[in-house]
Amino acid sequence: MTQAIEIRSVSKMFGTHQAVDDVSLDVPEGSIYGFIGPNGSGKTTTIRMIMNIILPDRGDITVLGERSRGAARDDVSYLPEERGLYKQMPVRRLLRYYGRLKGRRPRDLDPVITQWLETLGLTAWADKRIDTLSKGMAQKVQFIAAVVSQPKLLILDEPFSGLDPVNAESLRDAVLNLRRHGTTIVFSTHDMSAAERICDRIFMIFKGRKVLDGSLDAIQAEYGHDTIRLRLGQGVGALAGLPEIEAINDHGNHQDVRLKSDPQAFLQKLVQRTTVLQFEIAKPSLHDIFIRIARPTTDDLQATGEGAR
Amino acid sequence: MNRVLTIAQSEFLTLVKTKAFIIGILMMPLLMTGFIAFMSYAESHVDTTDRAVAVIDGTGVLFEPLARAADAHNQKAGTGEAKTGPHYLLTRVNLQGRPQEDVTVELSARVKDKDLFAFVEFPDGLLDAEKNLPMRFYAESTTARDLTNWIEDHVNDEIAKRRFSDAGIDQALVRKLTAHADLTTFGLVERGTDGAVVPAKEIDELSRIGIPMFVLVLMFMSVMTGAMHLLNAIIEEKMSKISEVLLGSVTPVQLLLGKLLGVVSVSLLLAFVYFAGGMYALVSFGRSDLIDPALIAWFLIFMISAALLFGAIFLAIGSACSNLKDSQSMVQPAMMLILLAYLGSFVVMRAPESGIAVGLSFFPTMTPFAMMLRMVMPPGPPMWQVVLSLVVLLATTAGVVWAAGRIFRIGLLMQGKPPTLPELLKWIRL
Repeated sequence: MTQAIEIRSVSKMFGTHQAVDDVSLDVPEGSIYGFIGPNGSGKTTTIRMIMNIILPDRGDITVLGERSRGAARDDVSYLPEERGLYKQMPVRRLLRYYGRLKGRRPRDLDPVITQWLETLGLTAWADKRIDTLSKGMAQKVQFIAAVVSQPKLLILDEPFSGLDPVNAESLRDAVLNLRRHGTTIVFSTHDMSAAERICDRIFMIFKGRKVLDGSLDAIQAEYGHDTIRLRLGQGVGALAGLPEIEAINDHGNHQDVRLKSDPQAFLQKLVQRTTVLQFEIAKPSLHDIFIRIARPTTDDLQATGEGAR
Repeated sequence: MNRVLTIAQSEFLTLVKTKAFIIGILMMPLLMTGFIAFMSYAESHVDTTDRAVAVIDGTGVLFEPLARAADAHNQKAGTGEAKTGPHYLLTRVNLQGRPQEDVTVELSARVKDKDLFAFVEFPDGLLDAEKNLPMRFYAESTTARDLTNWIEDHVNDEIAKRRFSDAGIDQALVRKLTAHADLTTFGLVERGTDGAVVPAKEIDELSRIGIPMFVLVLMFMSVMTGAMHLLNAIIEEKMSKISEVLLGSVTPVQLLLGKLLGVVSVSLLLAFVYFAGGMYALVSFGRSDLIDPALIAWFLIFMISAALLFGAIFLAIGSACSNLKDSQSMVQPAMMLILLAYLGSFVVMRAPESGIAVGLSFFPTMTPFAMMLRMVMPPGPPMWQVVLSLVVLLATTAGVVWAAGRIFRIGLLMQGKPPTLPELLKWIRL
């Protein structure tokens, strides 16, 4: 499979801070790749290096088959998380400007702009200034600004945040439609359920290092053998004092439990204590996996002084 | 290159479409012309209310000639719709043996009642040169300058006439013998290539002060308009992360050059509008001899350099700041450079050939102002000084644009507290 992005042993430091540490990654063409990780983990730095906005200290990045600086820039678009638009510019002029900066000719851009405005229900606002639009509309304009150049690689940072469900759905459809037409999409998000729904593969970076990379199924399989979904006659109280349990996520009518030991032995112990209504070896959600990786360890807490309190 | 032009075009349109630009800059010549026209109309038309003035003439001889002068004045001021000023209606006051104090109190009451506008006293010994007594003018309003000047001038004329007459001297002869000779200032006379003498140009207030002020204000305005716009625009782009999107499409140097080119275009538009207006005015006043295409070309060269130099400085500062508040303190030194250039120009205007003026015109941030002023003020600097100062200015501009590009590259992506000067220097070296 041809790769839209190939990252090989890339590292980046800012002063004494190691922002990205020896990361390698392949993003196949035509896929939707989820980039997840806590704030400050190195996601944005990685994206900026892919965009050629900053250069890595070590390692190579190939984007759409081009390794040289700036070569693939015109076919790569970026929608940053913090939306920025020229407030006093009319919508169509702004979209034309962004498209022209990607080297597209105005006469090629106009039909694309018209089409996108129609798709996202903004036709009536084409000649209005950005500062007259609602937040949701401005966000859709920002999205169109990113896709108006018909990029081969589209990097979206939290594209759905702050949108109402209807608008979020229409943007999600637009993203999936772009993928159907061959666009590779890097989707950076903290919304784990959105990542689960639309991403083919997930990449997680934590403290500058790659900690997850693969399809959702593979990741869940890797983390799934020790998570049990339980429904008990006596509720969560029946789980008190069991040394086999590492963590409990109580959902009220059921509990997700992570075990340190063999589930079969645990089940035998549990039936002696209470009525077991449901015992299912479950796939952990991406949310659970994220928390498991990114939750501060006891060492971390002591290092920051939290553990002393 | 196309992208640089795209950015330049966008910057140009964004700036010239703002209300502040249209009203403040393009409309300024129209507003100024309208204002001057209004002032000149108002001066001659606004107050045409007649002035009734009572005269206590202690000399007994001054009222009659003054009344004749008032008649002449009133005739000149016209009547009805064509009236351009107030009529002076003088009445003589007879004391009829009453104390003068009582009469002045009575006249003051009439002024308060609007029966009179004012009254004036000519003391008994006014004609006596030895006594040198003053006239006294009493009024409620303090806006009677035209009237008091008129009375003072005409009474003094009459007093002088009488004193000369009493001394047996013919005043007409005195006037003839003491006629004032005017001094008119000219430039130098040259012989043209065809051997004919090229007459010297007259140096009047317009060429001595008007043209230099025009040049100074236009240079200042074009530099400030561009620099302030760039500072605000780049901070807005940085705060709203637009710069991050832009850097995904263009290099920092392309972005910087596009923005600079945009404001240079705006400066050229400004210069075009003001030169067109200025030339129209000069031609209207019959002073087309003051239009010098070579000087206009030099002005444009210096103005473009100034717009690039200060634009690059302000862009670099803006890119290093994360918000408008930070930029206000960081921009102070750059503002000082512009203000020093502006204020230093007045030193140059006073003595364009002095050592200090020559020195200032070689200091790069001052050159566009100081050298240009020296060039428009005769006799003008030697050509080698102009060329050398331009070379220094262009070299400095190139260096500053390069350094700004280095700062811009890093500053645009930096957040948090603004960098210190050593940090900025480090960014340039990186």
